Amino acid sequence: MDISSDESDDWFIESLNTYKDLHVFQLEHPTKVIEWTGDKNICVAGYTGSRSEILELLLPLKLYAGENQGLCAERDFKVQHGGFSEEPIESLIHISGTRCVVTSGSSSSTLQIWDIGGDDSDVIKRTGVINLKSTSVKGCKIAPGLTDEPAVLHGSCISEVQLTEIATGRVLYTVAKESSDSVSGLQFVNACVFLICASDGTLFMGDTRDPSTCHYPLEDSKSGLHWAFGLRSDSSQSEPSGCTVARLSSSGHMLLSDLRNLQSPFCQTQLNVQHDASKNDFLNVSWAPVLDRCLSVSGFDGTVHIYNTINWSTEGQSPQPVFSHRGHEMSDEAKYSGSPPVVTTHSWHQSRPKTLLSAATDGSLHVWDWVDKITDR
Amino acid sequence: MPDIKVTPLGAGQDVGRSCILVSIGGKNIMLDCGMHMGYNDDRRFPDFSYITQNGRLTEFLDCVIISHFHLDHCGALPYMSEMVGYDGPIYMTHPTKAICPILLEDFRKITVDKKGETNFFTSQMIKDCMKKVVPLNLHQTVQVDEELEIKAYYAGHVLGAAMVQIKVGSESVVYTGDYNMTPDRHLGAAWIDKCRPDLLISESTYATTIRDSKRCRERDFLKKVHETVERGGKVLIPVFALGRAQELCILLETFWERMNLKAPIYFSTGLTEKANHYYKLFITWTNQKIRKTFVQRNMFEFKHIKAFDRSYADNPGPMVIMPGYCVQGTVGHKILNGQKKLEMEGRATLDVKLQVEYMSFSAHADAKGIMQLIRMAEPRNMLLVHGEAKKMEFLKDKIEQEFSISCYMPANGETTSIVTNPSVPVDISLNLLKREMALGGPLPDAKRPRTMHGTLIMKDNSLRLVSPEQALKELGLSEHQLRFTCRVQLHDPHSDNDTLGRIYTHLKSVLKTYSIQHVPDGTVIVESIVIKVTSSAEEPNLKVILLSWSYQDEELGSFLSTLLKKGLPS
Repeated sequence: MDISSDESDDWFIESLNTYKDLHVFQLEHPTKVIEWTGDKNICVAGYTGSRSEILELLLPLKLYAGENQGLCAERDFKVQHGGFSEEPIESLIHISGTRCVVTSGSSSSTLQIWDIGGDDSDVIKRTGVINLKSTSVKGCKIAPGLTDEPAVLHGSCISEVQLTEIATGRVLYTVAKESSDSVSGLQFVNACVFLICASDGTLFMGDTRDPSTCHYPLEDSKSGLHWAFGLRSDSSQSEPSGCTVARLSSSGHMLLSDLRNLQSPFCQTQLNVQHDASKNDFLNVSWAPVLDRCLSVSGFDGTVHIYNTINWSTEGQSPQPVFSHRGHEMSDEAKYSGSPPVVTTHSWHQSRPKTLLSAATDGSLHVWDWVDKITDR
Repeated sequence: MPDIKVTPLGAGQDVGRSCILVSIGGKNIMLDCGMHMGYNDDRRFPDFSYITQNGRLTEFLDCVIISHFHLDHCGALPYMSEMVGYDGPIYMTHPTKAICPILLEDFRKITVDKKGETNFFTSQMIKDCMKKVVPLNLHQTVQVDEELEIKAYYAGHVLGAAMVQIKVGSESVVYTGDYNMTPDRHLGAAWIDKCRPDLLISESTYATTIRDSKRCRERDFLKKVHETVERGGKVLIPVFALGRAQELCILLETFWERMNLKAPIYFSTGLTEKANHYYKLFITWTNQKIRKTFVQRNMFEFKHIKAFDRSYADNPGPMVIMPGYCVQGTVGHKILNGQKKLEMEGRATLDVKLQVEYMSFSAHADAKGIMQLIRMAEPRNMLLVHGEAKKMEFLKDKIEQEFSISCYMPANGETTSIVTNPSVPVDISLNLLKREMALGGPLPDAKRPRTMHGTLIMKDNSLRLVSPEQALKELGLSEHQLRFTCRVQLHDPHSDNDTLGRIYTHLKSVLKTYSIQHVPDGTVIVESIVIKVTSSAEEPNLKVILLSWSYQDEELGSFLSTLLKKGLPS
């Protein structure tokens, strides 16, 4: 293929200036999860088809070669471990400090516990299950506990959310809330305090030392919208005062709240995106771990948008992203398929400030390091 | 059990040289004969002592097949054929035959002339070796001998690279060499038909990688070139003329045009001529796009890319130069490996101050590619070479589960035996068929095997099943009958006739399902067994029972003699 003047070629040529690094990969099966299992390792898993593969991948070594980057030819992902799951995988979490991951799927009423394995074998083995009260087509939402003893916080609706110890299956905590609202996401703020975001945007904050939970519904919640949330904290041992929560609706409405005052968000804005209810599943908002007050948004289409929230105000126009990654829309696969790909998930690199990974419905997996036109020149 | 044996030569986890021995249907084939580029001593050659401890290899090998011109697949060929000794046929495609000697000679020059090594092949040896080469065309079946045939398939990867199918009778093996399942700018993708070989042998060095896209590699390349040229610097691109050079030229030309760049790009003249010549010869081996371009203009005629003259070397300002491939041992190769100080002739040392970017454009099959190839060929078994079994258990499981076939991963030096189940076609005579059908009973079920008797005649590679009588007639043999006789003594006060009658009654009660006759002439007949009773005049109570049976009724005959030895019931 000669590089002719067509849109995707233009984009690739442009990318010489707009990206510091760009790696484009094609997985055999698309993934909805990108979960870090180490400094240089991620896990991905299939969600289409009845049997799925879980893969632990080593990031291209070229990214880490530093000064010797020129001499390092390794641009490829290495499949370090792989395993088979009997169901499509909706969520996957890694338990920090271990080689254990937990998955939830769309067809069984259990959470699966896996051992990724070490150097002696490349097979990911299932080591146990956690029984759930019910099956959910969207899969049960899961989050790792932050205590020393590995535990997982899980639930598909508010009343079923509980904290289960992985080794014993013992229930350590249950949410004493009679609410059948479905869970959109949950996460621990520190070892004891956790947040649950319901699909309608309501936030629940709980403490495993305290049976009661507080809930913070939205001021004017419009029906038919699906909400996702992203938590920004400085470290896993944060106190609530240092944390910000971003909530994103499927129509692009964004709310930023301080954990000290979840009742009233300190910032509200409308992002310039298109609403499509069929993609609610892929809605994703994440805070950058290194860059100050930057967050990223995906799931509306084949783009990942990065915003700097410092200049956001409650009134005013739609904020402009500081960067938009359009790589998934520009791939060869996208050209030939009937429907354009949608980004299923994305994740920031834990230490490299501007490196992200993103995956889409066409099986593409990108690793990219973007150039901030304002600051990097 | 009939089997196919595969042994990758080399030791341990050694990757970097391909040389695989296959035994199939009584034939021995060597697949590739590569040199290990990482060693400077005898370890770079494959260890042929596996084939024979001393002496020439000719009588131990039926043929040698080379997949493509990369030195890790053909580098040890002259050593094998001229220094160890092999005079049989060496098969490779036309482009491989044309390009191999160039690479081998280049390598020999550096190793012997520049580095002064001694245990190495000479120019004459390369020539003598190439005389033994029989070129292959794609998809054309070649009879190596009466029983062994081979066929080459397009492998992509580099110009002239082939995958080879080896067939003996109804057993077959496909060896992939290095291949690529995605087309690139100048080569197509590997292709094979649903040939259903008993075994598919594939390289698995990249089986556990997920390859970064071509576009991104090219992007990086252009980015680096552009940045350097913008700064006023010079870019040297060592590339093998018959490899990626064409691709990179197209890429640079298009980019220069689009970005309106003015810096000159140079290509080494000697290489251009050679490259043009070979591309003209082997145009059918490149992809569609290249073929169309070639019709309009010469392969290396570009607007922005010109032939290089040594005098330009000191020109100031930015430029891009493509000098050619850096064989191991050259200054270029050392720089590409990160060496910062070079010792030149005359003891002078040079500091390397240029920035080095190592970029890999070569196309290999990853896990996805291997799965695609298996889907295409539908082998009964899979064998992966040059991978670490411990690190590939997941891929093995994946292949075994998805295709329900066995996947083998031998270490170098280890022999794998794959049991095959070849079908043996036999012609059955019409008479025999009719006879078997006439035996009656329920209609034969197509799914259930039925035992039949016949004689197998193997003559001139044909197998025929005929009735024993016909076989005897055809072979001009007379039929012999084997009969056994046995005498059993019995004390019985009755007359001979009565004793016989008692025997008849006794047998009838024991052998309920057999046909037993009491014939008036004084015999009892059970199937083919004849029983008579005699006694001598002196001792009328000592009866002698004479049993006689034909060979076919041996079992029953033995049974009856044992039974009668026990005596008759009163």
